[in-house]
Amino acid sequence: MRPPRGRGGGGGFRGGRGDGGGRGRGGGRGGGGGRGGGSAMRGRGGGRGGGRGGGRGRGGGGMKGGSKVVVEPHRHEGVFIAKGKEDALVTKNLVAGEAVYNEKRISVQNEDGTKVEYRIWNPFRSKLAAAVLGGVDNIWIKPGARVLYLGAASGTTVSHVSDIVGPNGVVYAVEFSHRSGRDLVNMAKKRTNVIPIIEDARHPAKYRMLVGMVDVIFSDVAQPDQARILALNASYFLKAGGHFVISIKANCIDSTVPAEAVFQSEVKKLQQDQFKPFEQVTLEPFERDHACVVGGYRMPKKQKA
Amino acid sequence: MSSLRNALPRRAHKERAQPQSRKKFGLLEKHKDYVIRAKAYHKKEESIRRLKEKAAFRNPDEFYFKMIKTKTVDGVHRLEGEANKYTQEELMLMKTQDIGYVLQKLQSERNKIEKLTTMLHSLDNNPSSRHVYFAEDREEAKEIKSQSGRKDALPDFDDIPDHIKRKTAASYRELEGRKKRVQELEKLYMDMSLHKELQKKGRKRKLREEEIVCPTSKAVYKWRSERKR
Repeated sequence: MRPPRGRGGGGGFRGGRGDGGGRGRGGGRGGGGGRGGGSAMRGRGGGRGGGRGGGRGRGGGGMKGGSKVVVEPHRHEGVFIAKGKEDALVTKNLVAGEAVYNEKRISVQNEDGTKVEYRIWNPFRSKLAAAVLGGVDNIWIKPGARVLYLGAASGTTVSHVSDIVGPNGVVYAVEFSHRSGRDLVNMAKKRTNVIPIIEDARHPAKYRMLVGMVDVIFSDVAQPDQARILALNASYFLKAGGHFVISIKANCIDSTVPAEAVFQSEVKKLQQDQFKPFEQVTLEPFERDHACVVGGYRMPKKQKA
Repeated sequence: MSSLRNALPRRAHKERAQPQSRKKFGLLEKHKDYVIRAKAYHKKEESIRRLKEKAAFRNPDEFYFKMIKTKTVDGVHRLEGEANKYTQEELMLMKTQDIGYVLQKLQSERNKIEKLTTMLHSLDNNPSSRHVYFAEDREEAKEIKSQSGRKDALPDFDDIPDHIKRKTAASYRELEGRKKRVQELEKLYMDMSLHKELQKKGRKRKLREEEIVCPTSKAVYKWRSERKR
C-alpha cells in the first residue's frame, strides 16, 4: 500500500507555517533589558483586535526593539499616554478584549510578558478627557476612588472613569433617559465597579439607598439648574472635603450672554452651596463654549498662620 | 529520433549585426524588416495616388453642407461643434452624478479625519484652552501663581525610540494632508453645486462689482425671488 501522500506533506507544511507565524520579531532584536526608564511599559500595538495581537506577540522578554507603541503614565493617576501610530490619552482597560463604543484599543506587553490592554479616550466624546487634555491640575478621580457620575448618558466616559478607579473603586452612574440608560446598563454588566442608576438626578432621595458616600462627584447634566442638582447630590452623598468636577455648557444655561459670563455666574452659584472651586478650564479645541470647573466641598477652614 | 537531436547541444545561431564602422546608420536591416518597410511605403504611395486621382476628377459644382459647417483651423480639420451633443436634461444628470461622487469622497475623507482625530490628541502642544484658578485671598493667589507653570509639564518622552517618533509624525502628516484635501473638495463641491444651480430654471443675474456686499474674487449671482405655491 502506498503511504497517504497528502497527510504527511500537509503535516510538514503546517509545522512550517506555525514557525513563520511566530516570526520571532522581538527574539531577533534580542536584548530586552537596559534601555529606558523603569516606569515605561512598552510593547507592541495589537491594533484593534484583541485576537489579532494574540498570535504575534510571542517573543518572550525581548519585545523592546519591535515595539510599536510606548505607553507611559500621565500626570493624573490611572490615565496613560500612548505614543506610536497614535498620540493619545488612554486608560487601562478593565475588561480586556472589549470595546465600549468602538474605540480603538492598544495592547502592550510588559517586560515580564504579561499583556495589558488600553483603550483610547476620545476627547471629542468625553468632556473629562477634554479637561485632562486642557491641562486641568487635578481631576481627583484616581484609582480606588468612589465616584458619583451625574449625566452618564450611554456610558462612554463612565467606562473610562471605571477604568481609572479600577476594581477597588466604585462609579455610581446616574442617567435619566431610558434609551441611553439601556447602553449604560449593558456597559455596566461587563464592569463590576459601575452601578447604573436610571433615575432623575434632581431627586437624589430616590436612589439614596443605592449610593454610599463618595469622594468625587462628576456632573455633566447640561441643565439650566445643574448647580442646584450638583448641590443636592453633594448634600446627600459627597463626603466633607470631597471634590467635584462639573462640566458647564454655556448654551444650555443662557445662550444670550457670553460664555465667560455664564461660567462666572455658575461658579458664583456653586460658591453659595458650600463648594469651593479651585480651577476652571475651557474645553476649547474639543467643545465650543464649554468649561470644566474643579473644586472641593465643605473644605476644612485653613489654619491662620 | 528528432527529440534525441534536440537534446544535443547545438551552436547558437548568430545573426550578423551592424558593423562597428556603420553604427551611425542604426540597426542592420534584414530582409523581413525591409518587407515591412516596403509594404508601408507602397500603401502610402497608393493612397496618395488615389487622392490625387480623386482631386483630378473632382466635380467643381459639388456641394455638401458639411463643407460650410466645418472648417480647418491651423491646418487641422475641426468637426461640427459638440456643444449640443447632449440635451439639457442629460447635462444636468451628468453634473449631478459628478457632484454626488465629489460629495461621497468628501464625506469619506471627513470620516477618516474623525477617526484620526480620535487617536491624535497633539499631546506635545500646549493646550489652547483658558485655565482659571480661584483663590480666596491675595496670599493664596500668589501661592497658586508660583505653583502653576511647572505643573503643566507632561511626563517627558525623551526615551522614545526613533521609529515610534517617526510613526507619530507620519500620522500627524496624514491628518494634515486629509484636512487639506477636505478643504479642496469642499471648494470643488461648492463650485459644482453653484454651476448646477445656474443651469436650473429661475431668473438670476450676475451682480456687478459695486453691488457685492462682501467682496470676493468669485462671481456672485442673485436670483429673482419667486412666489412658491
